Amino acid sequence: MTDKLFVALGAALAVGLPALGTGWAQSKIGAAGAASLAEKPELSSTIIIMLAIPETMIILGFVVAILILSK
Amino acid sequence: MIVKMSRLRILGPRDSLPDVIKTLQDIGLLHLGNPPQSKALTPFKLDRRQERHRRYLRRAIQEVEYCLEEFRLGQDQTHVEHQECTTSDYARWAHLARGVSREVGRFKSSAAELEEEQALILKYRSFLSGFETVLNSDVKWTTAAVYNVMLHGEGADPVGKVRESLTEALGGRFELRSHKLPSGETALLIFAPASAAGEVDRVLAEARVEDIPVPASFGADSLAPVAPRMLRRLDEIPFELEEVAASLAELKYSYGPELLKARAGIHDRLEELEAQPLSSMTRRAFVVEGWLPVVARARFDKRLRDEFGDTLMVSELSRAEWKDEEVPVILHNPRVFRPFESVISLLPLPRYGTIDPTPFVAVFFPLFFGIMLGDVGYGVVFAAISYLLIRKSKPDSAFRRIAVVGMTCAAVSIIFGILFGELFGDLGHRLFGMPVILIDRVAAMQTMLVITIGIGFVHILLGLVLGVRASYHQHRKQAVGRGATAMCVALVPVALLSMLGKIPKTTFMPAAVALGVFLVVLIVAEGPMALIELLSTLGNVLSYARLMAIGTASVMLAVVANDMSKLVPIAAVGILIAFVFHAINFVLGLFAPTIHSLRLHYVEFFGKFYSGGGKRYRPFAHWGLNNQRIV
Repeated sequence: MTDKLFVALGAALAVGLPALGTGWAQSKIGAAGAASLAEKPELSSTIIIMLAIPETMIILGFVVAILILSK
Repeated sequence: MIVKMSRLRILGPRDSLPDVIKTLQDIGLLHLGNPPQSKALTPFKLDRRQERHRRYLRRAIQEVEYCLEEFRLGQDQTHVEHQECTTSDYARWAHLARGVSREVGRFKSSAAELEEEQALILKYRSFLSGFETVLNSDVKWTTAAVYNVMLHGEGADPVGKVRESLTEALGGRFELRSHKLPSGETALLIFAPASAAGEVDRVLAEARVEDIPVPASFGADSLAPVAPRMLRRLDEIPFELEEVAASLAELKYSYGPELLKARAGIHDRLEELEAQPLSSMTRRAFVVEGWLPVVARARFDKRLRDEFGDTLMVSELSRAEWKDEEVPVILHNPRVFRPFESVISLLPLPRYGTIDPTPFVAVFFPLFFGIMLGDVGYGVVFAAISYLLIRKSKPDSAFRRIAVVGMTCAAVSIIFGILFGELFGDLGHRLFGMPVILIDRVAAMQTMLVITIGIGFVHILLGLVLGVRASYHQHRKQAVGRGATAMCVALVPVALLSMLGKIPKTTFMPAAVALGVFLVVLIVAEGPMALIELLSTLGNVLSYARLMAIGTASVMLAVVANDMSKLVPIAAVGILIAFVFHAINFVLGLFAPTIHSLRLHYVEFFGKFYSGGGKRYRPFAHWGLNNQRIV
């Protein structure tokens, strides 16, 4: 029972902590991106791509969580 | 593919330069280069009359473009047949543009004033309505001063503080009414004896209140006498705005077509005037240089020969003479790949002599999208939307190209949906036992993870191989480095798999030795920092796990949507909830795969070989013809 609890907790942390990191990074990029867009609207696609870059953290966290849960 | 270009030099008699320039514009194939430079050559300069004319036309075209923008005709690329224009045409167009732009400016400023007035009245409407009766009875207060002020909502009970200060200053000789505005501020109406006006002014200044402004058009200092009129204006302003819009529409209807003609005519003349200084002169001859696609060379030569016979000499410059120059770029791909040029158009064009990634994008972009969405239901809906967009869009427009890309992605999603056995998640399985042909994405997440990382290896290796090819001619050392990186990337999984016993253990030693050799080659070619680059490349491979992660998230949301429908006792409500969930998942299912496919291409794949910063080929041509497809 305790093992299961720790496994679930580990999986939750593996997703939760990178999610916080991703959210924080995206908030910074989003704010800077919005400011850039006001001056150069043609940068919209570049900014969308840049916003997607920190998502690697949560995606890898998700993968780790799956690996933890499937052990 | 990047179209092969020729650098041409045209040499002819000095006097024929204006005619040659006109003909080059008629042909519309040559992208003019910088003026040729040599000790024997002097750059061509426009004389004072021509320079004055050029400036005059530049101002005129700015006014024409301003009017067309305001008429929403700025992006109108309707082809205007080229016609010979006279000086009087330019003068007429300049005069017309000046007059129309003045009118447009007048209408725009009156519309802006009306909107400002409307916004102001709307802001204080609740105040004006709330105190309408009191304000109307202003006549009773002839011996009193009336204040209409606004209080920002800082601190606790700001109205109470003002009331307290006024009581201290005036005793009970005042009346204060307040009204909370929707914006969060509080409007105050204060009546006090005229003799106490100075005291009230002092209290209000200390309270840092703001006067409620009365629009200048009402010609009054105080709100009280004009409040009813202001409220009436709210009904009148929309009609006045409509009148302004109708006048603008009438201007557009009357002058729009002529202004489109003016833009084409003035543009052609300006381009012609500005093309001449791109030539160089000797005492008797002129020289012009420029670029054109190799395939168009014969057509170009024939047109010049037909016009000028043997008086012009056209020669091709060798690569050594232009290797440092920026060569304009045209992308030319087979018809099936062409829509995917729009995917790379978000980045700067590739440089001349490098690799056009369009064919690779055309294969991998839909593949990644399909793996992530992988659902027959969503794929069919997406295909239907793309089909509608294709039907509604003009051929060869950006919209059409994006719709075709969408249709391809939808088709691949349907194929993967069949392979994964997914139709709106597990709905197909629940309703009619839709089978899983290839892999169940929910049950076999680890297998899916391995497959997607395998795809990542292939994609990254392809990028590295293209990198070797791109740098082979100019940067041999870099090419060797990229080749060694590619070999290391290929050997690392072999060594790992043999260590884990997934492939025969006998492969470990040869793979490890080869890996060591290529690491040494890599360090020799690119320095020790290349090891960090190698680690980052291996990290890039892991990034492809997103293909699995986003796909799994999408299918899980779809399954949740289907489960939600069962939780509600009323079937219709359950179906509605499921529909809403699927709609949300569908929208997410379009955005996330698009953005992440783009990212995998731009960051992971292009980073290995792509060299941007190419200059777009823009031939010297008549208006509307310099964007046409040449090859």
